[in-house]
Amino acid sequence: MIPRRIAAALASFVAAAATLHAADTLPHVLISRQLSESEHIAVGDVVRLSASADDGAAQQFRVAGVYEPTPDPARLGAVIREVQLHLPDLLTLTREPGMPAGSEFVETINVALVDPADAAAFSRDVQARMPGVSAQPSTGAAESTGPFLVLRRFHLAIAIVTIVASTVFLLALTIMLVDERRAAVGVLRLIGLPIRRVLVQLFIEGVLIACIGSMFGVALSLVSEGLINRFFQWRYDTALVFVRVTPEVAAICVAIAVPLGVSATVVASWALLRRNGLRLARR
Amino acid sequence: MNAMGFAWRSLVRQPARASLGVLGVAAVGALLFDMLLLSEGLVISMRGLLERTGFDLRVTATDSLPGQGPLIPNAVAEAQAIATLPTVRSAIALRFANATILNDRPRGFYTSFQGVAGTAQHPWTILRGRDIGTGAELVINENTATRLQLAPGARLVLRAACTGEEQALPPMPFTVAGVAQFPFDTPNGATLATSLDRLADACGGNESGEADVIMVASQESAGTAAAVADVAKLLPHLRVLSNAEAVNRFERGGFTYFRQISTVLTTVTLSFAVLLITVLLTVSINQRLGEIAALRALGFSRWRVVADVLCESVLIVGGGGLLSLPLGGLLALGLDTILKRIPGIPAEVHFFVFRPEALQVHLLLLAAAAVIAALYPIRIVARLPIAATLREEVGG
Repeated sequence: MIPRRIAAALASFVAAAATLHAADTLPHVLISRQLSESEHIAVGDVVRLSASADDGAAQQFRVAGVYEPTPDPARLGAVIREVQLHLPDLLTLTREPGMPAGSEFVETINVALVDPADAAAFSRDVQARMPGVSAQPSTGAAESTGPFLVLRRFHLAIAIVTIVASTVFLLALTIMLVDERRAAVGVLRLIGLPIRRVLVQLFIEGVLIACIGSMFGVALSLVSEGLINRFFQWRYDTALVFVRVTPEVAAICVAIAVPLGVSATVVASWALLRRNGLRLARR
Repeated sequence: MNAMGFAWRSLVRQPARASLGVLGVAAVGALLFDMLLLSEGLVISMRGLLERTGFDLRVTATDSLPGQGPLIPNAVAEAQAIATLPTVRSAIALRFANATILNDRPRGFYTSFQGVAGTAQHPWTILRGRDIGTGAELVINENTATRLQLAPGARLVLRAACTGEEQALPPMPFTVAGVAQFPFDTPNGATLATSLDRLADACGGNESGEADVIMVASQESAGTAAAVADVAKLLPHLRVLSNAEAVNRFERGGFTYFRQISTVLTTVTLSFAVLLITVLLTVSINQRLGEIAALRALGFSRWRVVADVLCESVLIVGGGGLLSLPLGGLLALGLDTILKRIPGIPAEVHFFVFRPEALQVHLLLLAAAAVIAALYPIRIVARLPIAATLREEVGG
């Protein structure tokens, strides 16, 4: 049976490790990697934990393992010194003197459903049957409210500004590039190619350049994804993933970049093609 | 005609591409300017907010933030002892809790609730009505007054929640003495404040005299450092933190994310600007190679044509840079509004804060971008073979 574990950010970590040859009947705890590194505690060490700073009712535990804390953006920058105990051990450790066993409470109960798609219905059902209890599906709760939604909007706003700046530059560049070919376009017009035919050719060129540019951009973002994640994971000592280039994100980028690139080419070309063929071919 | 005038005429001759170049630099520059404002904005804003409260020391039981750690036992007596120190002007004890105002809603109206004790001025500003007296009175913030339509003199009943544990404390009646502004209020937050004794009563009366934090104002003549030393000596079992230390801790905390993102975006934005200006200038120069060769043949020196290219770059970046300041200001207002929706951020804290140093760095970075972007086109014109270019262009 896998016992239920509960995170315990204990107020006091009374004694650092000492590898005592205590009896194996000691209850087991897990400690976070950060706590293990900062206090030099290894698997098998015996530690003493107390719920208060005055060493009152401290108990011995054996470190059964070191774990990497679940990445939590809300704790970014914090050094996670954390111990995980079996729930009965934690309740015994924190129970007030005189309080009968079994009268304690827990803050949260995590429920794994057979079908995760039932989360919303299950949550409604629990709240209807147990007034005063708040049941929330875990997926989406973090994304739909709070800092995550705000940061998402912030990044979106910055992306919009970047797109605007890129579009302006792209337009300037295409005007120059098209202008550079004014003589060639003028000759094509003079030998009888209609404006539409020349425009189609420039359009296809624009599509090709935009597609290649978009693919290069996606490849660059895939490379920078790893670099950015590694830098921030090192900086904050966390396993949190900061940048993730998903197929959806890549598709959105391509869907924005290609039409923008093609539009810039067509707009710049159209401005040029409206001129007289002789004027274009003139040196 | 000097190089700058010549470069100006070169740009004016092709207004569309020059305008687009300037607009592009303006957009990138606006983003760059905002990232520089963001890099220190939150810390500067928080420092200003801490200083505006009028207290420059915070005393807590542990290193935890006030309200997140254990209470200070005998805080009122400790605050009185601190206030007698020669380096200290005044001290107050503050305790934080939550409360639900019982009204016609099934779950009541949830608020944060604080209690204060001490002789110093209370850490809020009265907007209407008066400050709390010795009775069961409280002051409320504007959000509470608006949402519950309460005015000074109104009566309300609340149920306090003073620890993380489930409690069923008895409801307590209070009278609204006034409406106040609290420095650390969030934009939508509801806050109530009363005396520490009344808060302790509402919390069941078991922890009278205890507080989360003692806020201390030092004597101006003595200075903060002396007051910190005196308080730490008087109460060695408590943690004493000056505003500067609190800001340092804040800087090291989770919000360094914005500084990091600002650094990354500044680097990316600047690289983007340099790359694009280089391409613009290079394409422009390539289209005018014959013209430049002709000028060299007419007697323009190598340095003179190099200066022309550099001036062209300076004009594009300079024009865009000037436009980027108002654009960046407007963009900063919009981005600040977005970021201030992060829960728990006080209404008076801003993410984008103007400081002269940011403007200086912005101008320096743009100047560097103008020079670096011009390097490759400069190399082209400096090494241009006059006769071969003219022959090629004319014979073309």
